[in-house]
Amino acid sequence: MLVSWKWLSRYVDLPTDREELETRLSLSGLNHEGTETPSENPALAADDVCIDLEVTSNRGDCLGHIGVAREIAVLYDTELRVPSPTLEESKTDVTSLLSVVNEFTEACPRYTARVIQGVKVGPSPQWMQDALTSVGIGVVNNVVDATNYVLMECGQPLHAFDHAKIADQKIVVRPAGEKEVITAIDHRQYELDPSMCVIADAQSASAVAGVMGGADSEVTESTKDIVIEAAVFTPLSVRRTARKLKLHSPSSFRFERRVDPVGVEWASRRVCQLIVESAGGTVAKGIIDTAPEIDPREPIVLRLSQLERILGITIGADEVDRILTSLGCDSDAKISSGSGSYNAPSWRHDLTREADLIEEVARIHGYDKIPEDSPIPVAPSSKRTFDSATEKIRGVLTAAGLSEAMTPSVVTKKLDTSLSPWTERPALSTQTAMLKGAKRLRRTLLPSLIEARANNWASASVEADLFEIAHLYLPGETEDDLPEELYAVSLVCGGDFFAAKGIIESLCDRLGTRQSLSVAPVDSPGFVAGQLVQLSLGETSLGYLGVVAPKTLKQWKLSGNVVVAELSIAALLADAELVPQQQIVSMFPSVERDLNFVMSESVRWNELENVVRSAVGDQLKSVTYRETYRDPKKDGKDRKRVLLSMQLQSDQTTLSGDDADALVQSVIGACKKKLDAELLG
Amino acid sequence: MSLQNFLSALDALQSEAIATLDSASDPEAFEAARVKYVGQKKGALKDIQKQMGSVAAGDRKSAGMRLNEVKQAIEKAVAEAQSRLSGGGDSGADPTFDPTLPGVRPKIGHIHPITQTITHLTEIMGRMGFEAAEGPEVEDPHHNFVALNIPEDHPARDPLDNFYLATAATGTEKQNVEGTRLLRSQTSTVQIRVMANRKPPVRVISLGRVYRPDDPDATHFPMFHQMEGLLVDTHVTMANLKTVLRVFATNYLGGDVEIRFRPSFFPFTEPSVEVDFLWDGNWIEFGGAGMVDPNVFRAVGYDPEEVSGFAFGLGVERLCMRRHGIKDIRDLYSGDMRFLSQF
Repeated sequence: MLVSWKWLSRYVDLPTDREELETRLSLSGLNHEGTETPSENPALAADDVCIDLEVTSNRGDCLGHIGVAREIAVLYDTELRVPSPTLEESKTDVTSLLSVVNEFTEACPRYTARVIQGVKVGPSPQWMQDALTSVGIGVVNNVVDATNYVLMECGQPLHAFDHAKIADQKIVVRPAGEKEVITAIDHRQYELDPSMCVIADAQSASAVAGVMGGADSEVTESTKDIVIEAAVFTPLSVRRTARKLKLHSPSSFRFERRVDPVGVEWASRRVCQLIVESAGGTVAKGIIDTAPEIDPREPIVLRLSQLERILGITIGADEVDRILTSLGCDSDAKISSGSGSYNAPSWRHDLTREADLIEEVARIHGYDKIPEDSPIPVAPSSKRTFDSATEKIRGVLTAAGLSEAMTPSVVTKKLDTSLSPWTERPALSTQTAMLKGAKRLRRTLLPSLIEARANNWASASVEADLFEIAHLYLPGETEDDLPEELYAVSLVCGGDFFAAKGIIESLCDRLGTRQSLSVAPVDSPGFVAGQLVQLSLGETSLGYLGVVAPKTLKQWKLSGNVVVAELSIAALLADAELVPQQQIVSMFPSVERDLNFVMSESVRWNELENVVRSAVGDQLKSVTYRETYRDPKKDGKDRKRVLLSMQLQSDQTTLSGDDADALVQSVIGACKKKLDAELLG
Repeated sequence: MSLQNFLSALDALQSEAIATLDSASDPEAFEAARVKYVGQKKGALKDIQKQMGSVAAGDRKSAGMRLNEVKQAIEKAVAEAQSRLSGGGDSGADPTFDPTLPGVRPKIGHIHPITQTITHLTEIMGRMGFEAAEGPEVEDPHHNFVALNIPEDHPARDPLDNFYLATAATGTEKQNVEGTRLLRSQTSTVQIRVMANRKPPVRVISLGRVYRPDDPDATHFPMFHQMEGLLVDTHVTMANLKTVLRVFATNYLGGDVEIRFRPSFFPFTEPSVEVDFLWDGNWIEFGGAGMVDPNVFRAVGYDPEEVSGFAFGLGVERLCMRRHGIKDIRDLYSGDMRFLSQF
């Protein structure tokens, strides 16, 4: 809201210190955005300045100079001077010149019209032109300028129609017809729909209600008689219409923030007075008003004890009363024995409850009076398990050389469709794109991380090893379900499958997962055949790990090997023991034995490991994979040698060489029997 | 030779040899001194050792002990002189070993600055008894608007200011429709979920991603993080709010930070204020705050006559960027290692 210093001074005596005023306005609710002096803005008169104030959406009353002047009067405890326009009306009754039918009261609760006959359209007086240009409003003629002046004076939008151009001298407030077209005063055509409210004559729409007038009925130099519209249009209707038409005006801005339902009549009178002063003519007798009865507002009871309970300070009854009264509240029962009753003024639709009055008193009294040495009682707070777990996860992954990235939750179709290991259901989409082309709520973080790695390579030849912890959005069964939001930790790195698998094993180890990590190959495009696996902890699915197919890498212009993995944090946590428990270490020495078996290529390490474990039992402290060696000439085709180490140890006694040999023999026997694996000498 | 004479001769030799070796200023002088005193053939030590035979048998033990002492002292002086003159280069160290070469660093990853900021904020608020809480990012209008006292005609619900989800009914291409689900525009939704499931007192912070349509530039991004605090109890005042925020600011920024409230408007608080911190002589906007609106309490089944509370919301990015001197918010979400590796 731009206000002119000179214009304001018509309603209130302004203090000499402008900067102090600007600060006080900021600290009482009208944030000072800036001030222009004549040297910065040539449109300003030499003795004027233009102040830009930010008005919050609940304070439509401050979208006019009088509203701002009232705030100043309250802050400085001085008098507010509001003009009292009077009209000399002719004998002609307005109803003989015009009729109004309101067929759309949901969008227009009150419509008033006055008629002025015999105006002479010409330039408006210099003082009015100066006032309008000081706040950046263009000058048109003495009729249009007067409507704009009153708009900027009290915040009530007004519209003037050429009476002669209103078919049948009948105004109809109605929903627009399907695909009804109007040419607005910006001389562009707009297609309307029945959700929009129009001001029409007997034939066609003359204005889009509360948004913009039509070109056909606009006031021109040849206009003689005019109709002055002052109405209330509902915020939602105006906002939706303005949005749909992409047509925002000072009028729609004010209707969206509500106008003073009582002040409508004052504004109509005021503009007629100003027009007659500069354009002559006579005002027809009376006003057409579709809803002259305004419901009285409910009185609001304010308890001083509540002020103290909410604000933490005591404010005297006299000060409370002064503030509310000068803001325009009426009171039949001023504060006595701790409470009073107030009626909020019609221009303050935002004041309906005790809480609202408390805020008014607080902001004018000053938030600086609220102390900042009022501590809250102590209370325990503990760290969430989730936070402890993610801290450990970050610790392991950064130690493994991966850096944490954060990438947008909403992705492009290309990214979304490239991979979706968790769900077959189509991704949820936003109506509007979050970033260029990105509308899909991601079902996996992997494509985002691959993209980030590709971008790093493209821009800086950096092989980025990254991880991210964020939500996946897995669509629910029906369209109305909220999606399942699964916290996942995902990673992308170079190296091979086993390097990445090792990171995941370390992660599980550090989180203390109890069940063993197992893998099951799955088929999916985008990965090297056989090298994408589903990871499980016991029976619970944990996530996916795979080597990205060279073809996919080529699409991303990535070189080398790229491995990705994505784990459900919920699954990790379900099996985790975040507080490690000490395991007693055996006091007795351990024996290490290496065994080298030759076996069929189809035997998997986990089978071999399981056979070894069950053959030894409790005394096997560990079995470690060492290496695989292939020599078809010696061992035959599809055969391999696997070297493993066993650590044998008893908790009860020192294992003798004979004991160890016996255990080794049982391993050799079991491997032979179950896996057809032969020990090499 | 009497013992007495032998010992004096030893003492004289020791003083002379050490003085000569200590004063040797070049390798030639050193070598001459070395040969003179400890030379294998004609060195002075060898000579005097030979004279041991002429000392009376009973005194030989004392003479031998003293001789050993002198021998060691002179040999030490030789070694020192040699080390001094050769610059230590002949000490057996490998001349190719350059200890000033850079170390071999382990490859350690970096934690995202937003995570670091969130951890920091959670820790500060944790010390004041606030526990972390989380809620979903995809919300229904009830939690994002209705329960937060944002009526149907409020501009905050506008489709242009929110990411409503498309449905089959609206079609993925249709825009500007207030849908039944949306990406939350604020973390206040979590307050509603927490209060609906808990009896007062409530003392929580919620942290997470929020979404608002904004064209990305250096200070705007359509996805960002908020930290929201909520305290509800039988007697909570605006003075408590101011105190908690001042303690927070002092903790986060260091030093005694001045704060101020400016009136503002949020449907879910009344009174509502903007919070400014005085930083390097400038008032910096840090977020919104206020006393929980009675309608919000009613929406979650609390009696506003029984309890009062405050809520505040701060932008995590702004705090993070200011603390680390980050100039462009887009860097945070780029995944660019040249950025990430600085933290």
